[in-house]
Amino acid sequence: MSGRYWEDIELGAKQVLGQYTFTEDEIVGFARAYDPQPFHLDPQAAGRSFYGGIIASGWHTVAVWMKLAVASHLGATRDGPRSGVSPGFEDLRWLKPVRPGMTITYSTEVIEKVALKSRPQYGLVKSRNEARGEDGTLVMSFIGKGFVERKTRGA
Amino acid sequence: MSAPRYFEDFHVGQKFAFGAYEVTKEEIVAFAREFDPQPHHLDEDAAKDSLLGGLATSGWHVCAIAMRLATDHIFNHAEARGGAGVEDCRWLKPVRPGDVLRLEVEVLDTRPHPRRPLGFVTMRWDVFNQREQVARIVNTPIFATRGGA
Repeated sequence: MSGRYWEDIELGAKQVLGQYTFTEDEIVGFARAYDPQPFHLDPQAAGRSFYGGIIASGWHTVAVWMKLAVASHLGATRDGPRSGVSPGFEDLRWLKPVRPGMTITYSTEVIEKVALKSRPQYGLVKSRNEARGEDGTLVMSFIGKGFVERKTRGA
Repeated sequence: MSAPRYFEDFHVGQKFAFGAYEVTKEEIVAFAREFDPQPHHLDEDAAKDSLLGGLATSGWHVCAIAMRLATDHIFNHAEARGGAGVEDCRWLKPVRPGDVLRLEVEVLDTRPHPRRPLGFVTMRWDVFNQREQVARIVNTPIFATRGGA
């Protein structure tokens, strides 16, 4: 979907964004800055906790989705159509813990395109996004939304 | 007001307000480099020409900062057991270098786990800078029940 205008984005298009292996150092680094709860931060405390070991912050798991989406050229680039700004997201589910050493595969699917009266030079694209473990287990999902520039202004 | 500790300490309509998190340009750019390296989060000139009308941080960074505030003021005083998810998140206004963020929290619903000694608390987090509301996040963290495992 690199550098695509809203009109050219295909409803139903699916794309694997990539894989990411979470290390303990990165999990702890993110948690120290933004989510310093013992089960994200401290291997000893996490080992005694209900999770039985350290797990990634859910906000870290979803931030890596964004990282891979941008790397897959789904976001804004300097030369392409204006995109990559979002009004928010819906229905984010943290379904299973993500632990150090796990490799997560991220994907996206275009599920809806909405013309915008308020912003006639943009359209909205809704996507269903998933993160799965090595065995295919769904660990996270959410519905994303993004503004994408149109070739021709909407009515 | 003493901080709530267990699931039973949360009540529908309960409110909390706290935080003064200064968002620096350095942190905006560092977060963007790692997780959201789009020109409008990295570069003033590119950002001027975007929908954001100037450099603004990633919405995911705003969520992460809200999480930090909620962790410091609620979760780390309670028997918090992680989050079930986020029903809805709206990024209402750009968050720019120098903004100072605070959180207003309201408890919308409380629901015991059907089998385990846990409960789900649905909260609305309204995120403000010094001028206006910048985000609204409705999410459902999980807390241990009193006397739970």
